[in-house]
Amino acid sequence: MIAPLLEQIVIALGMGILGAVIFAGIGLISGSDETTTLAPLTLLVVLLGVPAPGVLTFFLAGAVAKHMTHAVPTALLGIPGDTLATPLMREANLLRKLGVPHIALRKMISGAVIAALIAVPMAVLFAVMLAPFGDAIKRSAPWIFLAAAIAIAWFSKGRLAAVLALIPFVLIILGLQALTGQFGVKLSVSYFLGIAIGPLIAALFALLAPDERRSMRRSEVRTFSLSPDVKSAGGYFPNPLKVLDSQQSRWTAITAVISSATFVFSPVAMTVILGELVGSRIKHVYHRLTTVITARNGVTESTYIAEALIPLIAFGLPLSPVAAGPAAPLFNAPPRFTVDSATGEVHNLHTLLSTWEFFGYGMLAVIVAILIAYPFTMNYAYRAASWVTRKISHEAVIATFVGLILVIGIWEGGLLGLLVIVTVGLLGGFLSRFLGFNIGVQFMGYYTAVLTVPALL
Amino acid sequence: MKPELYEVWGDTVDARHLVYAIGIGAVVSLSAFFVAQHFLLMWVESAQMARAYAMLVGILGCLAGGAISATLFKPKRHVVEHQADPAWRAQVLVELQNEFGDLGRLADLPPETVAELREMDLYDLFANYEKDLAAAPVADAASGLSVSGSRS
Repeated sequence: MIAPLLEQIVIALGMGILGAVIFAGIGLISGSDETTTLAPLTLLVVLLGVPAPGVLTFFLAGAVAKHMTHAVPTALLGIPGDTLATPLMREANLLRKLGVPHIALRKMISGAVIAALIAVPMAVLFAVMLAPFGDAIKRSAPWIFLAAAIAIAWFSKGRLAAVLALIPFVLIILGLQALTGQFGVKLSVSYFLGIAIGPLIAALFALLAPDERRSMRRSEVRTFSLSPDVKSAGGYFPNPLKVLDSQQSRWTAITAVISSATFVFSPVAMTVILGELVGSRIKHVYHRLTTVITARNGVTESTYIAEALIPLIAFGLPLSPVAAGPAAPLFNAPPRFTVDSATGEVHNLHTLLSTWEFFGYGMLAVIVAILIAYPFTMNYAYRAASWVTRKISHEAVIATFVGLILVIGIWEGGLLGLLVIVTVGLLGGFLSRFLGFNIGVQFMGYYTAVLTVPALL
Repeated sequence: MKPELYEVWGDTVDARHLVYAIGIGAVVSLSAFFVAQHFLLMWVESAQMARAYAMLVGILGCLAGGAISATLFKPKRHVVEHQADPAWRAQVLVELQNEFGDLGRLADLPPETVAELREMDLYDLFANYEKDLAAAPVADAASGLSVSGSRS
């Protein structure tokens, strides 16, 4: 009885450490989008057959660590570390101009620690409250996905254009499925990757078109101004509660609880809205900047944790923007994890782990990520930022992702898999660029195609 | 030859270097994948697991390709160490005022924040700002108006 449990815990711990280390590194690279990086690597972990607790800790520790180290480019270089760092740019840049980027950095990651620790128990609590409705929701899953797709499209930048663009997008996916089906090839990962990496594919195509190429031409390299290193007090592992003042800790806790409950909304929107809420209550401008940046970075952690955990525990269906995007492989990774559209029958982490296991392994993942990413960011932020900007060329980053497209596409479906990634990526990338039909909407479009449409026909 | 610089996916690249890097990334990652698949299919019993491990090797190949490109092609970035100088800070106050309007009073701050401001040498900046504000209330009212106008 004890031995198998111990083995599970050791695996969960190991995978948590692995996820935290990998994504603490990825977080340093500015512009490394969460979905593009978390989804394929988590999928890999699922398909390699890692036991359920290890899959969960890998994903959660990765997400938590990434949202700490993303503070490094955000605060020290003035460029967003990833998608969720964009709402923090205003405060980060103003604090940089005041000459205190290290304060921005320390506050951000301290907020992350507090919010992440609060979010896990909150998410479990809200999931338990929602669980009684789980069966009803599963039965009407196809309709809920359709409604969610329309709602997420409406609240994207594209508004009505995004809602209407869902129709051709879903048709293309159905068409591609029919095409590959003729050759007996059933794809899923290729669609995820195509959607997630669409902006890169669209940019590379644009570079080949003479007119677009002219507009992308630059006469000189970009200048990055790196803030100098400042030795800070508090030792190797400063107490986050001492880095923040009591008001900042309180606001971080409050926004963490609120954002854990609002798991159906987009994480970027929640980060913006809750930051404004906090900012409107603080009078002095310096205090406002530091408190807002603390609370906002806390929200980047708590929304990710809650949006992954609540749908996993309560429904087993990917019913949140995070669950539909970066956390998608926790729900649906055929052949290992499956979601059946017509019956609402699921086989994934929802069926493999109990609520208490979600709580225990969730806390384990968060603590592992904090122990790795927090002291690393506190002590080595400057050196890390300097090394990445001086040594890692953008060509190398693009080459790595092109390699990823080729390997995953050919692994899943040979030439057909590759063509599907390129087709979906090109279409999605341009729809996102010109209509504001963002990656979250595209994922919901994919789910509408594979879950709602078969139930309707 | 003068490098042809383009902004792709959020940063500057040299077109020729990008083509080479993509070529290297493609060749290294795919050869890693196919070679691993060839041997693993012979060694591992379950074909599905063999292919999953081959994908893992392929992904390591992607990283290796990226590492090779990183050593061959230097970043197209100009990195300067930037120290915000004190003269500039006064400029920032104006910017803050445009952004937020009233900057608030130091008296409203909790003691730990005041200590933090002193430690960062920012206390005097805000204290002087308040002093100037008290000395020239009329001018401030005028600038306050223009600020609220520009904020909409």
